Amino acid sequence: MGEDTDTRTKADGGTAPRDVTFEQVDWDEIDADGVARSRKRVAWLAVVSLWTIGVAYDLYSRFVAETGQAAFPVLGSVSPVDWLWSFTLLVLLYYGVVPLYENPRMTRYYWKEFKKNKAAVVSALYLIVVFAIGVIGPRVLPEPEPTPGLENQPPVWGSIEAYSAGTSCAGGTTTVDGVTMCQGSWQHPFGTTSSGEDILLSSIYGMEVSMQVGLIATLMSISVAAAVGLTAAYYGGLVDEVLMRYVDIQMTFPTFFLFLLLAYTIGSSLFVLILIFGLFGWGSSARIMRSEALQRREEPYMKAAKNAGASSLWTIRRHLLPNISNSLITAATLTIPSIILAEAAIAFLGLGDPTVPSWGRLISDGRDQLRTAWWISTIPGGFLFFTILAFNFLGDALRDALDPRHGGSGE
Amino acid sequence: MKWYVIRRVLWAAFASFIILTITFVLMDQVPNQQLMQAEFQAAVNDVDVETAVQAEKERLGLDRPFHERYLDFMTNVFQGDWGWSYEYDQPVVDVVRETVPYSLLYGVPAIVLSTVIGTAIGLYSAVNQYTKKDYAATFAAFFGISIPNFWFGIVLLVVFGSWLGWVPIGWNADIPLAADGSWTLLETAGSDHPAFFRQDFEGERYVGILSPANLKQLILPTFVLMTGAIASVMRYARAEALEYVDADFVKTAKSKGVSNRAIVTKHIFRPASIPLMTILVGRILGLVLFGSYLIEVVFGIPGIGLASFQAIIRQDTDLVAITILLPTFVAIVGNLIEDIMYAVLDPRIDYGDR
Amino acid sequence: MSTRDDTTDVRDVPTERDDQPLLKISNLHTYFRTDSEDVRAVDGVSLTVDPGETVAIVGESGSGKTVASEAITRLFKSPPGYIPEGSIEINGREITDLSDEELRRVRGGEVSHVFQNPQGALNPVYTIGWQIREALQLHADVSKSEARERAVELLTQVGIPEASSRLDDYPHEFSGGMKQRVLIAIALACEPDLLIADEPTTALDVTIQAQILELLAELQEQRDMGMLFITHDLGVVAEIADRVAVMYAGKIMEKGSVEDVFETPAHPYTRALLDCLPGRGGIGGIPGELPDPRSPPPGCRFADRCRHAIDACRTGDQPGMHRVGDAPDHTTSCVHFEPGRDSSTVLDAGSEPAGSPSPPDDLERGGRR
Repeated sequence: MGEDTDTRTKADGGTAPRDVTFEQVDWDEIDADGVARSRKRVAWLAVVSLWTIGVAYDLYSRFVAETGQAAFPVLGSVSPVDWLWSFTLLVLLYYGVVPLYENPRMTRYYWKEFKKNKAAVVSALYLIVVFAIGVIGPRVLPEPEPTPGLENQPPVWGSIEAYSAGTSCAGGTTTVDGVTMCQGSWQHPFGTTSSGEDILLSSIYGMEVSMQVGLIATLMSISVAAAVGLTAAYYGGLVDEVLMRYVDIQMTFPTFFLFLLLAYTIGSSLFVLILIFGLFGWGSSARIMRSEALQRREEPYMKAAKNAGASSLWTIRRHLLPNISNSLITAATLTIPSIILAEAAIAFLGLGDPTVPSWGRLISDGRDQLRTAWWISTIPGGFLFFTILAFNFLGDALRDALDPRHGGSGE
Repeated sequence: MKWYVIRRVLWAAFASFIILTITFVLMDQVPNQQLMQAEFQAAVNDVDVETAVQAEKERLGLDRPFHERYLDFMTNVFQGDWGWSYEYDQPVVDVVRETVPYSLLYGVPAIVLSTVIGTAIGLYSAVNQYTKKDYAATFAAFFGISIPNFWFGIVLLVVFGSWLGWVPIGWNADIPLAADGSWTLLETAGSDHPAFFRQDFEGERYVGILSPANLKQLILPTFVLMTGAIASVMRYARAEALEYVDADFVKTAKSKGVSNRAIVTKHIFRPASIPLMTILVGRILGLVLFGSYLIEVVFGIPGIGLASFQAIIRQDTDLVAITILLPTFVAIVGNLIEDIMYAVLDPRIDYGDR
Repeated sequence: MSTRDDTTDVRDVPTERDDQPLLKISNLHTYFRTDSEDVRAVDGVSLTVDPGETVAIVGESGSGKTVASEAITRLFKSPPGYIPEGSIEINGREITDLSDEELRRVRGGEVSHVFQNPQGALNPVYTIGWQIREALQLHADVSKSEARERAVELLTQVGIPEASSRLDDYPHEFSGGMKQRVLIAIALACEPDLLIADEPTTALDVTIQAQILELLAELQEQRDMGMLFITHDLGVVAEIADRVAVMYAGKIMEKGSVEDVFETPAHPYTRALLDCLPGRGGIGGIPGELPDPRSPPPGCRFADRCRHAIDACRTGDQPGMHRVGDAPDHTTSCVHFEPGRDSSTVLDAGSEPAGSPSPPDDLERGGRR
């Protein structure tokens, strides 16, 4: 204690700082459970370094050595989206799951508050299932492929006139009123598309796409929003003015139309889509972060931190950020569904990457078959609808529970 | 006040300028269709491709330095010379003039209705906070916000179009027009009217914007566009009104003996409407512009959204640029109007900053 | 001590007056529904206000005094608030069972309110002229120009200079004190019989406070209006009120004329409150906190914080209202004043647990230390 009091006095007095400055004191290590924490931190840094090295090597072999995608042991080649996806999952694990596991008391408290809202609990369960299937499914299941002869198969509980289906019927046929009907089968529980792709399999692959787009772009967008919002609020003045004017301009260009423009001029892929929504869709979140941080800036603990000689970066990261994290989580949860919806819409229009098995593409596939094979559009559409609905319910519940301005628990 | 308006207008102009510049730079990267055509022609006619392309470049002015072309582009945009559409084989400005009315046909009623209905439900919900009706309205709003409108449109089309047969499946673009192709509110026409192509009937039928046939085909697109918008408006209106439901001045009004109805319409709605308008113009406009793109594709309405979509598919560059710029300008002008309205309506606003 | 019926006890005390009271509240309860048990904000309050008289309700925040004042014209938020039992008579007419429509005529017409926070009590998007006119036109059939004239008159009466030129100004163009004057003008617009002022000076500067109090007293005298004055400030009570009721946790602890209550404070809670006045040596307020309004403890609500509490204080209901000394309507809800008990255990006790005894007429002498 005597040590850092000393440092502070010196810094305040304006004399030359000594070797140890305030921000160099690692408070994490001074904490009682510092050892366990720093071990966790080392593991995290190691994983992040590994990831960075991987990306660097991949970039090197693509653009410098020009030998194409780098091949990694075990993993094989890794696509740009996969790089982003793996990093997003790591961040979710480290900043989401690990803290919940480490603080069981807080976790129990959150759970107690959270489970009061039945709609949010159901939503969370649904999303966890979709997320798990979306992450695991495509690793273990075969890719959906067009199967000639097995077009327009009905779902397991349904049937279709045989002349509307492919040449063979997986579930056999029956005759109703003189018409041969093709029966559904467990081989294709949700039926097949007009090109004979299994709808269940495609929907599972679609889950991964939706989760990737939603989570990666949201993580990007929220990180930028927090950085810009906090910087603007903390420094104020010219910095604030410049950043917020930029946000104004960015927000006048609707992200969807910006995507159309960029997709048209530089070409479209899932990677580009994620980048555009992640890097240009953060305007309104940044405004929320800024106004929230402006309120926090005036609080006594901020002044205390400043008086104690903490650096700007330290103050923003350690005092401002944790205190607006509730709004951050809420904003993130409500950003995800809008991005998922935008991706599906783009895929539906056929302006996305045609090789990506998106729900939007499936809906578009089934459009012409609606009268005969209604399930092709309806089933993936249902997944899309319920996923968006669940994120909206969840975001709203989190806002009620976490955001003091909406006074959920207080009333 | 005057300075505030001037500053907002200048800001809108600056934003437009930035967006035009970005569009120009991006569009400059796209291979030029006319050049490719010239190249193809030259190859077919077995003349020197290089010289042919060079000649075409000169003809189009593409050989000039970047800044000259940039200046050209800017002047042309302001003079209404928006380029040539190869798909429609007519100037882009004419394509816009022909397609925009179709978008307005369902877009305007959708905006008006969703604003009115959404605000009414939102106010009602706020005044009856934590009652069953409030929960029901909020729950319904979640569905409205979450349902993907392109998918909802398809489902409704199947149910009401092909199963029940209440509305036509194909969209008839000639119905709101008179026999000579001009827009009309309501008149009668015989079977020689283009809308009744290959239909034989005696006597005359109604055509025009207000004709039953036109209203019928507008119901579903308007409704689909409205679902999301109503839900959004409702949520914002409810949140804004809730700020005032427990306000001290509402209690003052109550203590004066003001009726519940007047409290809601005069004392809660009026102050809530000011911030509400700020949110609505931006959000609803964005929602409608984005929504109309998909709705026109789903229902086959020949509006600006469908034109833009087809232009992208068919690489009709000039039309792509304009159909993407237009909604952006609508958004900028919408924001400008909203800022000015805000200043006019709210006696508290401080013109000093912003 | 046995449980005693509150109402019978009230009858024991001679409270009858020559004329009919302007406001007569009997055994009023106001509860608020919550997920668990109801919050009992007001739990059996009886009170009268005569024409031309000022009655003050004093209590700390959370005591239910504001809810009690708002319950008179049912201004509290409903749902969740409701009145499970009790009667409120204005000029002899029962108003708890009036329809919303009938009640609206009472509000502003017979009974007006002035609230605590003038900053938020005026609608920011209407001119003050509009807001006064609204009040006038709700209760009388007046033309726009007549209403305008009347508004100027009212604003002049409440001491707003150049009233006619300020009618078209918006609330944000007025200072806090001026806003409170406007609100008083609105409250007086329809010549109410009863003015309920809920901490009208709390949010204002000290100098403005005195002006507003003076204005209220003046206007009341001119109009012979009854006034129910809600405050936590005993100093204000001494200045403005004729009679006072001390409220604690939804119940009235003591009531009587201002002289009686200040000279012979009977209830230990009143005594503790008076000791908190500056110059009385009290520091740090009253130890302990208000009981949970959802499940109040049996017996006297103040028992847990009372240093005179005996076993009888913790059983049954709140003690009935017992007479204090010989004063005609000075009563208190304390077991020590029950007939047959020795009230001097309270009356002669010291002022502060840590301090030395202080005589009850302390306030008159203006402080001892």
